[in-house]
Amino acid sequence: MGFIVDAQKLTKTFSGNSGTVHALSDIDLQIESGEFVSLIGPSGCGKSTLLRLIGDLLAPTSGILTVNGKDPERARIDGDYGIAFQKATLLDWRTVRRNVELPLELAGVPAEERRGRADELLEMVNLSDFADHYPWQLSGGMQQRVAIARALGQRPPLLLMDEPFGALDEMTREAMQQELLRIWRDTGTTVVFVTHSIPEAVFLSTRVVVMSSRPGRITHRITVDLPQPRGMEARESPRFFELLTEVREALRQREVAV
Amino acid sequence: MAAARQPGRTGTGPLRRGVAFLAVLALLVALWEGYKFLGAIWDGTWPILGVEMRPRPGNGSLPHVWDVVAALVAPARRNAEPLILTLLVATIYTLREALVGFLVGAVVGFGIGVVFVRSLAAERAFMPYVVASQTIPIIAVAPMVVVWGRQLELPGWTMVSIIAAYLTFFPVAINTVRGLRSPEATATELFDSYAATPWQRLTKLQIPSALPYIFTALKISAAASVVGAIVGELPAGFADGLGRALLQFNQTFAADPSKLYAAVLMSAIGGIAFVGLVAVAERLTLPSARREVTI
Repeated sequence: MGFIVDAQKLTKTFSGNSGTVHALSDIDLQIESGEFVSLIGPSGCGKSTLLRLIGDLLAPTSGILTVNGKDPERARIDGDYGIAFQKATLLDWRTVRRNVELPLELAGVPAEERRGRADELLEMVNLSDFADHYPWQLSGGMQQRVAIARALGQRPPLLLMDEPFGALDEMTREAMQQELLRIWRDTGTTVVFVTHSIPEAVFLSTRVVVMSSRPGRITHRITVDLPQPRGMEARESPRFFELLTEVREALRQREVAV
Repeated sequence: MAAARQPGRTGTGPLRRGVAFLAVLALLVALWEGYKFLGAIWDGTWPILGVEMRPRPGNGSLPHVWDVVAALVAPARRNAEPLILTLLVATIYTLREALVGFLVGAVVGFGIGVVFVRSLAAERAFMPYVVASQTIPIIAVAPMVVVWGRQLELPGWTMVSIIAAYLTFFPVAINTVRGLRSPEATATELFDSYAATPWQRLTKLQIPSALPYIFTALKISAAASVVGAIVGELPAGFADGLGRALLQFNQTFAADPSKLYAAVLMSAIGGIAFVGLVAVAERLTLPSARREVTI
């Protein structure tokens, strides 16, 4: 079986008034179905740019990229991925349920089916009681759960997440990580997760991809061999701390070299 | 649902608002009458300074509040109906012209906004003209519209409505552009990720995002369209609207100022009623958390 994300010699440059910026250089990345891959690196390393290339929200300057075995544009049009951002980006004028229904509505799913699916998704993120609330009545963590439910609406094989827990407090963040792992296991979806938190990357991922900046490139790929399912014990295990150190040093190495 | 109250701000329940309105009204009346009272004591001259009080506090330029009210109730002419009835009919007539102009202007303004947001070329080409249109004084535009309208054999009131529309469309167009561009970058990316059509993007993201901006513009436009209708009536030579009444009482101001004040009062009430109507429509459309300005 092929890779769900396959990037070969991918580059992205932005040209502006202040010259050309090499956002990504020579990216080779293959992600297998069912993996949970974190992209971690300093600001400006191009991790969000890489995520946007996979989502066809940006076009690569050169290189080959396939998503779910297709051209990224085709994959986007086919709804092969769901996406969540640091800001939940819920529509204020829609209730929680109608926010979750949005992608299904745009895809022309009939109202009855849409509603059933939305209720199912809200149950999955434990927000059934808030289906008729409006976004501003929810806490930041709850809003982010709605955003995740929305991203999973069409049962996409791929979930793209751009620092989705970056704006949450530490307690909520850990609870959300736990919840995301459960959803990942239950749905079998592949996750590409952008973060700048080392513990978050290690706890969640099956593989951590370490990037450096100027130009943005992949420097290390670290396989996280913590047993599944992971919970509090995983966070407190010696292996977890070893992996934290490994990722931290991989990040440091580059800084020293620069 | 309960609207969250902003800390440090007192509530705005209907009762509180009513009380606040009446309190300010009482204050304004007290200031007005207080000025006149002092004028009577000081014989129209500021003490110590020895300078004449301007505006003169006498009844010739500042009539008593009760004289204005009395003028409203008294017949406009001998054996005629009370002035307030005449003015009410004139106000309704003018508001009707303003309403038609407002609706036309709002639709045109919204349309221009949508076109500008869809096409940068259209915005670049036409925006200077849209802005220029508003720098031409309405008293210069109104006679032209009336003359052209007569040549086209349009009914008189439609010309007044066109003038009202001329004042209405601009704030709506500008705020529509701003509102349609207001969704945050991630919301736009989200719709990109769904491969949403331009129509879906417009109706499900941009227009709902723009509504608070558009309602703010509509409130400005509602007031402006009443002014436009009143001014438009003058070159049209309409005898039925507020414009004519204001002009007429202006001419008799020296003899009887209370009538002009009465007419001014009525046009203000008409304008407030119109803006209030838009505010009610906003209330029914948007939850309080999404309203920009509360009127």
